[in-house]
Amino acid sequence: MIPGAGVLLATSSPGTINGIPFLTITLAVLATSIRVLALILLSIISGWLLAYGAIKSKIFENVFISLIEIFESVPVITFFPVVLIIFVNRIGGELGVELAADFLVFTAVVWNIWMGEYQAFKTVPNEMVEVANNYDYGFLDRMSMIYIPFSIPRIAANLFPSVSDGFFYITVSEVFSIGLTTYATFGIGTEISALLAESNYYGILTAFIIMGLVIVVIILGLRSFSERAVARYTVDTDMPIMRRGKPRIRQTARLSAVASLNTLGKLAKYNRERRPQKDPEELFSTNPRNGKGNIIIGIIALAILVYIVYSAVELIMSVSASEWGYLFSKTPYLLYGLLLDYIRVLSITAVSLVLALTLGYYFATRRRVEKFGIPIIQTISAYPVPAYFPFIFLGIYPFVDSIFGPYTEESLVLLLGFLATFYYVFYGFWMGVKAMPAEYNEIMRNLDMGFFRKMRYVILPSTFPYLIAGITSTVNSAWGGLEIGEYWPNIAGGKTLQVHAGLMKTIDLATSSGNIALAAWGSFLFAMIVAVYSIIFTRKMMDLAKKKYVAEEGIYSV
Amino acid sequence: MEVVDLDFRYENGYKVFQDINLKAEKGKFVAIVGPSGVGKSTLLRLLGAFLKPEKGQVLLHGKPVLRPTPLISMVHQSIVTFPWMTAEENVALSVKTRNLPKDRVKEISSHALEMVGLQGFNDLYPKEMSGGMRQRVAVARSLAAEPKILLMDEPFAHLDELTAEGLRQDIYNILFNEDSPLETVIMVSHNLTEVIELSDTVFILNGSPATIVAKVDIDIPRPRSPRDPAFDQMLDRLYSYLTKKEVKKQ
Ligand SMILES: Nc1ncnc2c1ncn2[C@@H]1O[C@H](COP(=O)(O)OP(=O)(O)OP(=O)(O)O)[C@@H](O)[C@H]1O
Ligand SMILES: [Mg+2]
Repeated sequence: MIPGAGVLLATSSPGTINGIPFLTITLAVLATSIRVLALILLSIISGWLLAYGAIKSKIFENVFISLIEIFESVPVITFFPVVLIIFVNRIGGELGVELAADFLVFTAVVWNIWMGEYQAFKTVPNEMVEVANNYDYGFLDRMSMIYIPFSIPRIAANLFPSVSDGFFYITVSEVFSIGLTTYATFGIGTEISALLAESNYYGILTAFIIMGLVIVVIILGLRSFSERAVARYTVDTDMPIMRRGKPRIRQTARLSAVASLNTLGKLAKYNRERRPQKDPEELFSTNPRNGKGNIIIGIIALAILVYIVYSAVELIMSVSASEWGYLFSKTPYLLYGLLLDYIRVLSITAVSLVLALTLGYYFATRRRVEKFGIPIIQTISAYPVPAYFPFIFLGIYPFVDSIFGPYTEESLVLLLGFLATFYYVFYGFWMGVKAMPAEYNEIMRNLDMGFFRKMRYVILPSTFPYLIAGITSTVNSAWGGLEIGEYWPNIAGGKTLQVHAGLMKTIDLATSSGNIALAAWGSFLFAMIVAVYSIIFTRKMMDLAKKKYVAEEGIYSV
Repeated sequence: MEVVDLDFRYENGYKVFQDINLKAEKGKFVAIVGPSGVGKSTLLRLLGAFLKPEKGQVLLHGKPVLRPTPLISMVHQSIVTFPWMTAEENVALSVKTRNLPKDRVKEISSHALEMVGLQGFNDLYPKEMSGGMRQRVAVARSLAAEPKILLMDEPFAHLDELTAEGLRQDIYNILFNEDSPLETVIMVSHNLTEVIELSDTVFILNGSPATIVAKVDIDIPRPRSPRDPAFDQMLDRLYSYLTKKEVKKQ
């Protein structure tokens, strides 16, 4: 039966045609989209305030940036079992569940945006700040006339990955189980689970179509917004612009790094040659307004820090000695799981990388393919994998089973991880190729270089900074994919998707059986190791990239 | 190398050229001059087949040039080097296209660097070099491909006057020494002094869409000095072609 093709059946809920609850589905899609967009907006606005605090107070800047760096390099999703429980237990009710869902989406979208805004604020041209000082602008004037407009192109560049990240987690954030209880808040994620439980496949198909339409509309809107943002808010001058010193961190690892290196063409010129400058705002530190602001922001930062340390200590004290013994005895197994997970993440990343290189190159060199291909890929990537993966699972399970036998579930989990992450490295590489100087292209053609020679000598080195940023995002999302995939009870057709062993699975299992201590300990080990690894590795790579592989520096001219 | 009845327009519909005809003979240093924005860089890109003409042909030894080839080598208007490669590696990039053994590649690249006066700077990265040195690396890279035709787009424009003068004095001898297979150099410039100092033939590009409005042969004996009255006369003559709207072909 095709929806709307023939007979209209009257059913219990309004807007239901042929057993498909069109009205509910549409409202659910809207609820979810509004949730994602509103949280992005909240990230943007809070980010402006925080970034302003960061350029005003050194103490606050250090705390703020260190926290972003840690949260950016740890896939925050792994904390969620624990965080969700806090929301549900402490706040409880519908509000608790709603806030838990919001919190999850918020933490998925916020870091890119905050970091992008901070970098923008930090790189506002000296001349503009001097004008503001000259006329003694207040906070609101500074924000509305200088800082906010200046941050718009950077925000625009970060919106795509944030929207994708936001949608990615809807199915897990709107419905989740702790122990035997299932909590749900209204939205398309919940609605799809409900339809799935009723085996209402036309309903699900309808949900996908409506969600697809809404995502396309959002993507198109974002595209035109970012084009306009760049055209309007990018300072139009070829003069070298003096800057207010380097952002304190080397380079953030995520896609915001891509944006900050060179996105959307014109942004490039802000990133040439940064000389340490005397901070003009510091010259006026005798200004009473700035002085007070500094102290207040410093005190707030300190208070937050004290609170975090206090809660951590309180939590640790509350764990009994015997429980610590149990946790330590489990540690080797947890580390073994982590090792397996690392291998999974590496394989996913390697496959994504190879595909991104070939496909990205193909796209970037064929204008017509690119014109249609990129929006399609952006739309697909914004389409939440966890929402449609059960159907892929149902569809290909027998086929994969006949090939991989005992490794069927393992390969399906890897596939889920791949689908969740491929986009980032692809997009990073593609932007890198686009940002490559046109002259390089002509030299490659002039010298009649073959594909591998081009890759080795020109394309890979020039896209290196973009690739590193893309790979880092890919790695982080791969962890998110594993968190969802390694233990997915009742995924479809009464089956449970699970791997034989893995840290993510252990955490998931511990959460759903109510063993919070083990889940928390696993998350903690994971966070420590992954954070240390990514901070060290990513920083090394970013430093190398910035030192040696900036293609824009290869052109000496205008 | 020869250009026959060439028309060209950019994708946005802007017609740059109409009926361009020019002939660059073997053993000649040819200059193309014209006001800024007239299409000089575009013409070089057409000669190198980086762009496709709307009408007409580019011929090398009577055969049409359909896509870029190492035989026609381009030195860009902006100085282009690869920051992740040393001077020698930058040059070796174009030797590698000839599939030679490793030590031969090294030998040729070193030799090319020597020709442009950069012996001993093989292991420097572009970042560690001045603009003039980088431009020499770019020239060496083009020469190392052993082209028959060398296309140079404002090769001295980004250099300070002293460096430019030094490189200018070297370049003619570098280009036409006996063991180079180079046949013709085509240089774009809007610096008339430089053009008179170096070239055998000058084509003047003007109008919109642009055409060749004049061809001038310069037979002042080398080395040429701007203090020579013949030099001055030539300067006046070229200048008048550039300022007049319509000029009869010589
Ligand atoms: N990709 C392009 N698309 C459309 N028009 C272009 C493009 N590139 C150049 N043009 C136009 O073609 C004309 C010729 O450009 P070109 O760069 O060849 O000039 P030029 O003579 O080299 O100038 P200059 O002396 O400043 O280097 C210019 O008017 C320019 O605006
Ligand atoms: Mg030019």
